[in-house]
Amino acid sequence: MNQTEKTDVIIAEGVTKIYDADGIPVNALNGVDLTIQAGEFTAIVGPSGSGKTTFLNIISGLDAPTEGKVSLAGKVISEMSGNELSDYRRDNIGFIFQAYNLIPVLTVEENVEYIMLLAGVPKAERHKRVIDILKVVGLEGVEDRLPTQLSGGQQQRVAIARAMVSEPTIILADEPTANLDSKTGTDLLEMMRRLNTDTGMTYVFSTHDPLVMERAKRLITLRDGLVESDETRE
Amino acid sequence: MMLTIAFRNIFRQKRRTILTALAMIVGFTLSSIVIGLSDGAYSNVIEMFTGNRIGHIQVHRAGYQDKPSIYKTISDYESIGKTIQNENGVEAWTPRIYTGGLGSVDERSTAVQIIGIDVARENKATHFNKKVIEGNTLSETASHEVVIGEKLAKTLAATIGSKIVLFSQAADGSIANDEYTIVGIADSGDDITNRVACYLHIDDVQELFVLEGRVHEIVVIVSNINKVERISNTITEKLDNTSLEILPWYQVVKSFYDAMQKDKQGDAVARFIIVFIVAIGVLNTVLMSVMERTREYGVLKAVGTKPIQVFWLVIYEVVIISIGSIVIGAMLGVFFNYLLSVYGVSYAEGFTLAGVEFGKMYAEVNVACLLIPATTVFVSAVIVSLFPAIKAARIMPARAMRIH
Repeated sequence: MNQTEKTDVIIAEGVTKIYDADGIPVNALNGVDLTIQAGEFTAIVGPSGSGKTTFLNIISGLDAPTEGKVSLAGKVISEMSGNELSDYRRDNIGFIFQAYNLIPVLTVEENVEYIMLLAGVPKAERHKRVIDILKVVGLEGVEDRLPTQLSGGQQQRVAIARAMVSEPTIILADEPTANLDSKTGTDLLEMMRRLNTDTGMTYVFSTHDPLVMERAKRLITLRDGLVESDETRE
Repeated sequence: MMLTIAFRNIFRQKRRTILTALAMIVGFTLSSIVIGLSDGAYSNVIEMFTGNRIGHIQVHRAGYQDKPSIYKTISDYESIGKTIQNENGVEAWTPRIYTGGLGSVDERSTAVQIIGIDVARENKATHFNKKVIEGNTLSETASHEVVIGEKLAKTLAATIGSKIVLFSQAADGSIANDEYTIVGIADSGDDITNRVACYLHIDDVQELFVLEGRVHEIVVIVSNINKVERISNTITEKLDNTSLEILPWYQVVKSFYDAMQKDKQGDAVARFIIVFIVAIGVLNTVLMSVMERTREYGVLKAVGTKPIQVFWLVIYEVVIISIGSIVIGAMLGVFFNYLLSVYGVSYAEGFTLAGVEFGKMYAEVNVACLLIPATTVFVSAVIVSLFPAIKAARIMPARAMRIH
């Protein structure tokens, strides 16, 4: 895909976030301007408290900025209602969390199909896509297990499958390898990198992990709520 | 899918589910027993007042109810009785004459109430023969016999076979004075009646008081007390006689009925307290459940679940637990109410209400003792769950996942 043809998926303009910590204002982001383009495999890095997770939460609509504007695929998310945001996240964003965050009472298959169910995808189509994606993430044969019956690496694979199955515009991953051993982490990252190359799906990571940084095509460093550096690699 | 998640959450958090269900089951059962006992006690009182004493409907000459008088009589009572008997739902009717007088046995005298009854009809309508606890009931034809109340017998030191002289004024102004043989002693279940009642054959009383062919009251017994109002209205229409007053039992003993209704309001307070306790218990456990699962709700919202779907998830859980609790509570309620309807509960001390003696309270198994607790438990559980449900629906995903 030619770089000049890429479209802007996320545009963050002057994004500021100030938390109230027991009456003391804490500046998590201080006017961040960033654009993420389709097909990127981007890592946002920085020390603890630099604003990585906050930035991820704001560009996904999980949190609201104190100031500034975020557009995702051409729509300003701060102008959306609660229901519009839910629909928007469901249709456009796949999440991968550090703590996996699977729904504990649902089986692997049900967890993966949950978002498609919300979107009204027919049962047969859901089942086919679940089987296909579980094959891609190497989880054939565990469809009927509950999350508690899986290892950490398997649970994260389920989370990746859940994030990807509805073919969202972008996948946001917050410290996806933090709870995994290095081999499992490497395997999963290689898998995501391959999927990024094969499908052109956009990935944005928030991470400390050198394994992720090594594989990122773009590395954005945040410090004290500001973009310190923005490096694109070949 | 929300229903599936709700259902599985219930079994996932067994301890909390059991606590919530216990609050509902205990509340339901207590409420059911309170209603069963309360309705049973009222039914018992009403039955004592109506079935054995005043009947379900009474027919008098207009004005007799407010100001009884020997002269306010019904003259064509046989034809009125036949009209009443033909009415659908009427089980029996019986005529009565009431007058006062002086009763003397040997040297002892006291004021008495002379009640003239049609023995055969009275037996059918109010089981008069079963009230006779000593000696015999009256003959079905006039024989100058009398059955007197238990306490009146003690007052007059009368025994079976004693002669009682009744002394009064007849309807024509003459002196009514005659001697009768005591053939039986009765317990009417009514303390006041037991102290004064002299039951005579209606023909004897008509002869003594010069009231041939006339009575003061027609008592009507219906098969279903809940249809009294309709039957009373129909009888009024069919008799079409403005010189008569046709009154359902609750108008005959209006002050008693009003007191009973006020007492029922007191029961409503007891019921409200039980429901309030249940509601607090449910609110506590549901709120705890929502607080503990803030992260899960945050995740659900993060992946695209709408706020209203999260709201319904909490409500579904409460609804499922409520339905299960209501089923178990209903079985327990029926079981305990049935036991109490058979064995009853003894009052610490027996009491007399409006002259009727009560020693035990019996429960009643009816629709109300299931329907009212079911409605109150279900509605209160859903209402108190609204707050936790709204709280869950409004969770900010980022904050929910950050806090926990």
